[in-house]
Amino acid sequence: MKHYDCKFYLATDVFKGMCKRDKTSINADDNSCQNFEKAQKCRHCLNFSYTSEDLGTCMGRYDAYPEMNAVTCKEFTT
Amino acid sequence: MAEDIYNYYGTKPREEVQAREAKKNPTPRVEKARQIYFDTKSSASMEFPYWYTRRWEELEGDVPIIRRAEALKSGFSHLTPYILPGELLAMRKAVYLRGSFPMPWLSEAFFLSKEDDLYKEAQKAGKASADEVTTMGQGGGNVTKSIGNIISIAGKFGLRKEEMPVLIKTAKKWYNKSVEDVGHKYEQLVPGYGTKEEIMRAVICMFDSGYTLPQGREVINYYYPLQYGIEGIKNICKEKQDQSAGYPDMERLYFYKAVYTMLEGLQNWIMNYAAEARFMASLENEANQKDEFTDIAERLEWLSSEKPRTFHDALQLVWIFHVAVLNEDAISGLSPGRLGQVLYPFWKQDMDKGIITKERTTELLECMRMKFTELDCFASMGVVGGVLSGNTFNNLCIGGLDKDGESAANELEMLILESAMSCDTPQPTLSLLFDEKLSEEFLLKGIECTKIGTGYPAWISNRVAMDFLMKNFRNEGMHLEEARAWSIGGCLETSPGCWMPLDLEGEKWFIPGGSAPATSVGVHFISLPKVLEAVLFDGLDKRTGIRVYPAHGLKLETYEEIWTTFKAYFSRTVELLTLTNNIQHSIWGKVSPSIINSMLKPDCLETGKDISNKGCRYNRTFNVEICGGVNLVNSLASIKKNVFEEKSITLSELKSAIESNFGYHSALESGSYSLIDQVKTEHYRDWLKIHKLCLDAPKYGNDDRYVDSIFREWQVWFSNMCENYRSIYDHPLYSCQISVSTHAPMGAVTLATPDGRLCGTTFADGSVSAYPGTDRNGPYALFNSATCYDHSQSQNSQLNMKIHPSVVMGREGSRKFLEMIKAYLRKGAFHVQFNVVDSRMLRDAQMHPEQYRGLMVRVAGFTQYWVELGKQIQDEVIARTEYEQLG
Repeated sequence: MKHYDCKFYLATDVFKGMCKRDKTSINADDNSCQNFEKAQKCRHCLNFSYTSEDLGTCMGRYDAYPEMNAVTCKEFTT
Repeated sequence: MAEDIYNYYGTKPREEVQAREAKKNPTPRVEKARQIYFDTKSSASMEFPYWYTRRWEELEGDVPIIRRAEALKSGFSHLTPYILPGELLAMRKAVYLRGSFPMPWLSEAFFLSKEDDLYKEAQKAGKASADEVTTMGQGGGNVTKSIGNIISIAGKFGLRKEEMPVLIKTAKKWYNKSVEDVGHKYEQLVPGYGTKEEIMRAVICMFDSGYTLPQGREVINYYYPLQYGIEGIKNICKEKQDQSAGYPDMERLYFYKAVYTMLEGLQNWIMNYAAEARFMASLENEANQKDEFTDIAERLEWLSSEKPRTFHDALQLVWIFHVAVLNEDAISGLSPGRLGQVLYPFWKQDMDKGIITKERTTELLECMRMKFTELDCFASMGVVGGVLSGNTFNNLCIGGLDKDGESAANELEMLILESAMSCDTPQPTLSLLFDEKLSEEFLLKGIECTKIGTGYPAWISNRVAMDFLMKNFRNEGMHLEEARAWSIGGCLETSPGCWMPLDLEGEKWFIPGGSAPATSVGVHFISLPKVLEAVLFDGLDKRTGIRVYPAHGLKLETYEEIWTTFKAYFSRTVELLTLTNNIQHSIWGKVSPSIINSMLKPDCLETGKDISNKGCRYNRTFNVEICGGVNLVNSLASIKKNVFEEKSITLSELKSAIESNFGYHSALESGSYSLIDQVKTEHYRDWLKIHKLCLDAPKYGNDDRYVDSIFREWQVWFSNMCENYRSIYDHPLYSCQISVSTHAPMGAVTLATPDGRLCGTTFADGSVSAYPGTDRNGPYALFNSATCYDHSQSQNSQLNMKIHPSVVMGREGSRKFLEMIKAYLRKGAFHVQFNVVDSRMLRDAQMHPEQYRGLMVRVAGFTQYWVELGKQIQDEVIARTEYEQLG
């Protein structure tokens, strides 16, 4: 898994960010460390279904995309 | 041979590069934040547009303003919170430090691929022409090329490739529904519309305004949140809603309901940040940082419903609403206005209670500067690069007069100046509203800041601005007391304000804030040299070969004939652009009305009318913007003298010389956009005599009556003719004379001009700045030329000067500098601003950008990091005359 997929990843820009736990600078696409925890994203939600590699639907009726943060989504279900 | 031109137009290099006067440093906390900023790229995300669009679609058939409010609420409620360790002020536009996002409900075509049919349609309509002739800065935070998992959009914004499919999908949902598309459908009903498209294709006009940057160049008003808090405003809305439900003028009901809904979205957004702050605190081991995260959480939880208790609260709340407005529309130039006077009651209260120090205040203000500097405006290449140079124009004004006509400068503004020196970043830029009643101590503090090379404060005449306001807003009820509440919106747009009564712990204060909608909407930058080119070539755009205007068929045998034809073409351009842009703004008000900014602006909340329904107290804000005025005037002087008076050349010979670029390669070929470093062709000698005559013709900026009288005639005619056209709000337009960055792309598409300027090179900046290197008689001669007409006839004038650092060194240098500025403003000038820099430092920075990440320069109404400017602008700034004497 990548840092980009981790719950503790704080993105400063599209390329990089920092770890919320230890404040180290990290690249979004580098492999994550042993403290990795899955970020809350649409693709981990039970309401999400893929329609293609990059797109899907939410609750079967809304267009959605797998990589979107869902930390603020009240419908997020695992 | 290029050296000839350098010496002819430029200044001779001195022996050693002169550094700027010693600068100060921010606190370690802020310096750390600045270093992170320097290493951060502009980044776009799809969260907000995704949720906005999803909710919008869900509510099809509902009242448009309710639909819009619900869509905004959904966007805000779903933004992922992002808090950096060390921050004292929280919340930002999007999920990245320099985050922004596309707003396809305004415009959807430009971020599609150039092969896409939608993009081709935009090209056909001339909407993408400015994009194609703009160069973006290649350094700093710009993502100029796609790399790895990152896709570059508009040469500036990075988007992660996994978000690209949803961007395309979302953009296509707005096809034929966006402000751009719906506006385009109806603007075609304007008689003569075809000419408008050719005007856009030829880049005689830079861009449309209704869907590009429909709001901005205005002064925000923070009064209601500061006075009532969010829950208090919701209560007002509820009460007004009850009073308007079922009664005539039902638009009021929908407006109040929309504001209420939107505020619920803001509350969700704030509480999401509070929750994130608590999460960050839970992960934190270091005690101070843990406390700071907890403080942020507590403050946000309080402000999500209540009014501010302290200066820190008030500053945080001001920031929340500033960002909220920026997320409602693509906006440049949303100015905080006279923020030091708005926040002074809170600060004074805290100082009296001993709960804040000047040091802590300065640190908070430095943090505020970083927040403003992080702001990016997501727009097309032509807009973000060609006009804005990546800047967002958050102009903070200091000084001026209070409600009773006394100096409004205060101690907090001294600290604002101090923080602008210790944390010298482009945002917010400062403008000092000069009035004779301001203290010498305050003015010298302003000089101290200007001297270190920040480019700010700009120096602006309070008197001239008030004259302008009284003249143009009297019909809407403007009186002297209220005229004093004015401020600068955007880079240099004089904007009306008002005084609002703030109650704080039993004391009443009158705080200033904006009271009018966006300006610099309407007619967005007409290239004057390009119109003259069309006159000389019978209505054709020689670059593209297209016919822009109907052929005039005249032989142009007299100077008067040229001048009259110029006025006819220019007038037709203004007429068409006014009518078509009025339609675009009408559609904007229907499809994407302002709710957040409307709520803030007096008297929308009182009347229940949003901005597009004339809810603001003052509504005469549409203007006609121009570019390249000094090149036009110098060209007219050259034609008049060389062709018609001295008859040294014929008009036909001059036109041939222009088409041959006086025997030089074009700027595009040479890669140099000023007259420095131009490359001759083998035919150069054929045109040498004519070129010399053109270069030797009288030039504006030298106190030369011959050319200054042409300049004056143009100014008087221009300001008067604007009154012939009416905005969508049914008020006459007025003239606006700023170039921002348009003098680069508009110069890029223009042939050589009769003043000797070469093809593709950048025009003179501003409106009363001399063409680089042509002002040879010292600053006071330039001032005499610049003030040969009444500046209060126009919304602004703009003078940029470059001063060598050695001239203003020390205390004596400061006094001389201040006296020179006073002398200019007392002559009736509106504005002057300075680059205090050795030009060779800029040349070195062009060659070694990696060594100059923090170098800032003043362009035209804004300060920007050198490395984030396009080469067209960099070359022009280098070429500007460098004054080595003030006398």
